Amino acid sequence: MTLALIVLLPFLAAAGLAFLPRTDDTAPRTVAAGTTFVVLLLAVRMFWQFDTGQAGYQFVVIIPGLGADALGIQCRLGVDGINAGLLLMGAIVAFAAVGVTRDIVRRQKEFFLLFLVMTGGILGAFASLDLFYFYFFHELALVPTFIMIGVWGRGEERNYATFKITLYLSLGALIALIGLIALYLQMPPDQRTFDIPAMTQYFAEHRMESGAQQAIFPALMFGFGILVSLWPFHTWAPLGYGSAPTATAMLHAGVLKKFGLYGLIRIAVPLMPEGAKQWLEVLALLCLGNILYCGLVAMRQKDLNLLIGNSSVAHMGFVFLGIASLNLVGVTGAVVIMIAHGLLAALSFALSGYLFHTAQTLEIARMGGFLKRLPFIGTALTMAMLAGCGLPGFANFVGEALVFFGAWKTYPAITGLACWGALLIGAVYMLRAVRSILHGPLAEHWNQIQDVPHAWAKLPFAVLIFTLLLFGFFPRLLTEKIRPSAEVVVQLANREGDIRTRGGQGTIAAAAGSISKSQNRRLSVPPHPGPLPGGEGQGENSRSESRASRPRTGAPVSDPAQTPVSKESRRIGDRRSEVHGQGERTIQTSRRVNTAGEAAPRQ
Amino acid sequence: MTAGLEHYLVVSAILFCLGLLGVILRRNLLIIYMSLELMLNAANLAFVALSRFNNNLDGQIMVFFIITVAAAEVAVGLALIVALYRKRQTAHVEDLTLMKL
Amino acid sequence: MKLEIIPWIILFLPMLAAAGITLFTLKSRDQSARLSIGAIVLGFVLSVFFIAVNGWGPLKMESVASWLEVGPLQVDFGLRLDPLSLLMLLIVTGVGGAIHIYSYGYMHDDPGAPRYFAGLSLFTFSMLGIVLANNFLQMFIFWELVGLSSYLLIGFWFERPSAADASKKAFLTNRLGDFGFLLGILLIWDTFGALNFSAIQVELIRNPQALGALATVVGLLVFCGAMGKSAQFPLHVWLPDAMEGPTPVSALIHAATMVAAGVYMLCRVFFLLDASGSNALEVIAWIGGITALLAALIAVQQNDIKRILAYSTLSQLGYMVLAVGVASPTPAMYHLTTHAFFKALLFLGAGSVIHALHHEQDIWKMGALKNKMPVTFWTFLLATLALCGVPPLSGFFSKDEIIAAALNPEHGSVWLFLLTVGVALLTTFYMARLVLVAFFGSAKSHEAGHAHESPKVMTVPLLALALPSAAGGFLGIAHLYGKQLGQAHADYHVLAMAVSVGAVIFSFAFAWGLYWNAERDPLPEKIGALARAMRDRFYFDELYEATVIKLQEIAAAMADWFDQWIIAGLAVRGIHGTTELFGRALRLVQTGNLQTYAFLFVLSVALLLFFVL
Repeated sequence: MTLALIVLLPFLAAAGLAFLPRTDDTAPRTVAAGTTFVVLLLAVRMFWQFDTGQAGYQFVVIIPGLGADALGIQCRLGVDGINAGLLLMGAIVAFAAVGVTRDIVRRQKEFFLLFLVMTGGILGAFASLDLFYFYFFHELALVPTFIMIGVWGRGEERNYATFKITLYLSLGALIALIGLIALYLQMPPDQRTFDIPAMTQYFAEHRMESGAQQAIFPALMFGFGILVSLWPFHTWAPLGYGSAPTATAMLHAGVLKKFGLYGLIRIAVPLMPEGAKQWLEVLALLCLGNILYCGLVAMRQKDLNLLIGNSSVAHMGFVFLGIASLNLVGVTGAVVIMIAHGLLAALSFALSGYLFHTAQTLEIARMGGFLKRLPFIGTALTMAMLAGCGLPGFANFVGEALVFFGAWKTYPAITGLACWGALLIGAVYMLRAVRSILHGPLAEHWNQIQDVPHAWAKLPFAVLIFTLLLFGFFPRLLTEKIRPSAEVVVQLANREGDIRTRGGQGTIAAAAGSISKSQNRRLSVPPHPGPLPGGEGQGENSRSESRASRPRTGAPVSDPAQTPVSKESRRIGDRRSEVHGQGERTIQTSRRVNTAGEAAPRQ
Repeated sequence: MTAGLEHYLVVSAILFCLGLLGVILRRNLLIIYMSLELMLNAANLAFVALSRFNNNLDGQIMVFFIITVAAAEVAVGLALIVALYRKRQTAHVEDLTLMKL
Repeated sequence: MKLEIIPWIILFLPMLAAAGITLFTLKSRDQSARLSIGAIVLGFVLSVFFIAVNGWGPLKMESVASWLEVGPLQVDFGLRLDPLSLLMLLIVTGVGGAIHIYSYGYMHDDPGAPRYFAGLSLFTFSMLGIVLANNFLQMFIFWELVGLSSYLLIGFWFERPSAADASKKAFLTNRLGDFGFLLGILLIWDTFGALNFSAIQVELIRNPQALGALATVVGLLVFCGAMGKSAQFPLHVWLPDAMEGPTPVSALIHAATMVAAGVYMLCRVFFLLDASGSNALEVIAWIGGITALLAALIAVQQNDIKRILAYSTLSQLGYMVLAVGVASPTPAMYHLTTHAFFKALLFLGAGSVIHALHHEQDIWKMGALKNKMPVTFWTFLLATLALCGVPPLSGFFSKDEIIAAALNPEHGSVWLFLLTVGVALLTTFYMARLVLVAFFGSAKSHEAGHAHESPKVMTVPLLALALPSAAGGFLGIAHLYGKQLGQAHADYHVLAMAVSVGAVIFSFAFAWGLYWNAERDPLPEKIGALARAMRDRFYFDELYEATVIKLQEIAAAMADWFDQWIIAGLAVRGIHGTTELFGRALRLVQTGNLQTYAFLFVLSVALLLFFVL
């Protein structure tokens, strides 16, 4: 129910807004602010109640009335560790974005209507467990983006930017669509389904033809990649964000852009491991283009928005690297960066929007010494820039560190270069911007610029900074949720090697089974699935226990009361805890033990 | 010698080509319009001939349809042409370039 | 309350102070100062209490909370308590506390004081974090935070372009070192699967060949981090520029916190540098030696009082790194400790002079301050003597151990020994020059003529620091470090002592001859080009400007050009242009003439019929 409300509320509010008289100036903003606030509260509640340490989907709900049974389409929503954080981040960014819409003065009603549709689309895309709605919601969010940039955008290149971003993103979405359809057609006609968990399970049990994987994976990789500004398909991003109204840039760069990455993690990699093996090497190389090349390009930018846009493209490189590493640490890191960067990009664009609002320019060379007149904005900008160059304390550092540690095993050389990009190139352009915008003497004619007028106007910035710091200081809030789900993804992605060993099949079946099982259980307790038995206050419990229970692959699927547990597996289970008592912490160990432990009851 | 199917069809084809040439080459709207009618009637002729030689009345029914539609068309078309002429004092296609870029 | 919680309180007090100031007391200078000073003084008291109750131990206590764990990557947030970290805890809170109190007087009139104190507390927090860290990643985190706090404090007067540039330079140079450090950490994790210091140490003892061929590489990469923070050649360029910050900040950076971090880290991970098969120590020794010599040479020809002290710090840091390089971490830490006392004292004394002279920093515009500022003078003189290594002051003992260690047969060499002696000569020379010119002779400017002693809040910390600077040699510090890091080599002590005392006397006499009552510097006329090179810092800044920075700029320009013209231009606009061209070509067919259409229509039908039939 929570999830359904999170997704549907913005649409309902948008529909309600349509009936408002056009002359009303304050109502649209109020409605948008109220809606996003409620959504934020719901998302926080969802995040809080999320059963940490579980791999399966939770809060699963089917919205009746949407969908077509004849085609096998259902509007089914659900969260696991990967998208729970993303949804929370999306809700926070949407709430903050409403707070910085003072640059919207004309056609407010239409703007906020589109804004709400975009918000709903974004949240829907991340929450959907149905392939059709997964794609549909994304497109639904994209269309308002184009309109908003075209109508409320700024700058002379606005039209060109609108064209460019529309064409690029449509192309990316189209290629991804082709890939998704091809994927769908890989299933035999009587088993075809749009249900993502069911698809995952199907392909976990039935090996997809190698040739098909080699062909479909690149379509998804490049299609989704274009949506995330994968080098060399990135030039739409800086230009588009430079011309977009602040709120749109925040929502798109912060949240919507992550859709492509989410698709890679959720669909492309786990469903097509063989294709992934081959093509992720290409991705790892291309990500250097993002990190190094776009970092260098960012160094040369003269406009703050273009700089932030390029740096945002550069940051995507780390996520690609994390995905390409194909191990638990790297993928977890990639998800953490997705969340952290969403908050950071939103913060950066909100700040640059404020600067533009007060100084009427974003040309870096023309500014200087602003920290004196803008203590709050200046401090926030410094923090954003420092977070951007990966300073500890902000969530970005956690993600980048995880990605480096994860990718080091697979691609040491590329990781080394990526470190250079993160530590040096990033620092150079970020600090240069701080130096020329905030530091130095303040010119006479800048005396009219104003800091944020009152506490309410500070709220959007404060919320974003607070969240960044919160996850930076206590990364386990995120990683504990992400880890089990990421583990499933990684196991599915690495299954090719496991299939040859005897127990491998069992693991995968268990991994995939845990998805559908927990989901079914959830479904049996509609409308709002309560917490797991004994899972009350799970946050505290699992945090303290997680050391002992680390190797669980997702949900505890096997119920000892129903399935007779052989002595063998019991013994192994004991050894498991023993092994971890000794602090043997290699993933291989835990997986091997786990395999036997989970597979045994099924025999 | 009696006139066979071929003769009818050849006449029909000639008529059609004449009409077509008229449509393509003439510049006066009225003439173009009459050429159009010529093409329609060429089709009618072919229908009737085929109907007769195949012992099938479908073709003749079709002709009635065509005649009806053509009558309606002539009424609307001529009205348009007259209206146009009143407004522009010309019925030459080359003068009618209002919608051209 | 369990004893274990005390170190946690000590660590987080400054952070709470920083957060409190930022959130609540940005308007009030006094409250901010109280918060910040209170936090560190309480930290000092608690440290003393903790050590008094718990003793120095050979205890190896680690108190741990899991910070991050993802599969094989386990990062704890833990505190490691052993003599090494406990002593550092005392130094950081003690010397830092004196500097905090002093700042209250020094920053009295600055409107940005709350921001200043917040930065100071953050700095303390970060440094304490490094000191107490029990694993590599945690150390790296605080490592970066130290970089951040130095960035904020060096650029405190951000309106001055020079300060803003200096802070940027400091941060970036440090980042360069951190890059190596991070790679080192990644390699270590890859090899050992652990980040915890003791876990790695245990593993290394169990299997000395664990690192294999990578031993030297790992050692040097980790050393890169120390190179950045402790400003070793060739990453030394940021430290002198860091003088742009307020003087107490310089004191903090140079004495208790930032630069000490590098040497401390080297001692903390000494087991790794010393791993079998590693040649890292040799490189470290020579880099330390080169830094010491280079900095001492440059210091001889500087005229800014703070810059002289900055290069002197560099040179002393070179000493410490050299000591680590000759496998003698105990003397290194010993010298770090005594150096913290007297260098803080020197900087605070310099700050007192600068404060009295209304921010005049050129020593050739001072003079005759001896009688006008007696407390400052006597404490400054004491610290100078300690730095030069005059017995029985603290610096004498620690320096002597390093000189002796340079001769040790295993790792040292005669050349390193000669290097240390040469640096000792130069040290006495430039410090004597500084004292003779600034405090003796005649007043060389109007301000110098009307200087007054600084207020109590500034002189009391001077006196408080003078005590350990003088008596630091008798506190048994070396013994405490020795317990953990191994005792220093006992040979050659007499030789080292004789040489260093001789160097002081000889060099001081030389300086006396040149600078007693001098109005101008006579040295440039005597040695010409060499003096110019020294004054211009051997052109390192210019060299980097021309190479490293230029290269990166060129790469950026190329990338930008490629982005604009090839990707956004040729590729994107090219596709756009081709499409448009086709559109225009096809548009020509679209004449708008119905009869043409009809003609084309018929033609197509005819063609179609022709092909079909």
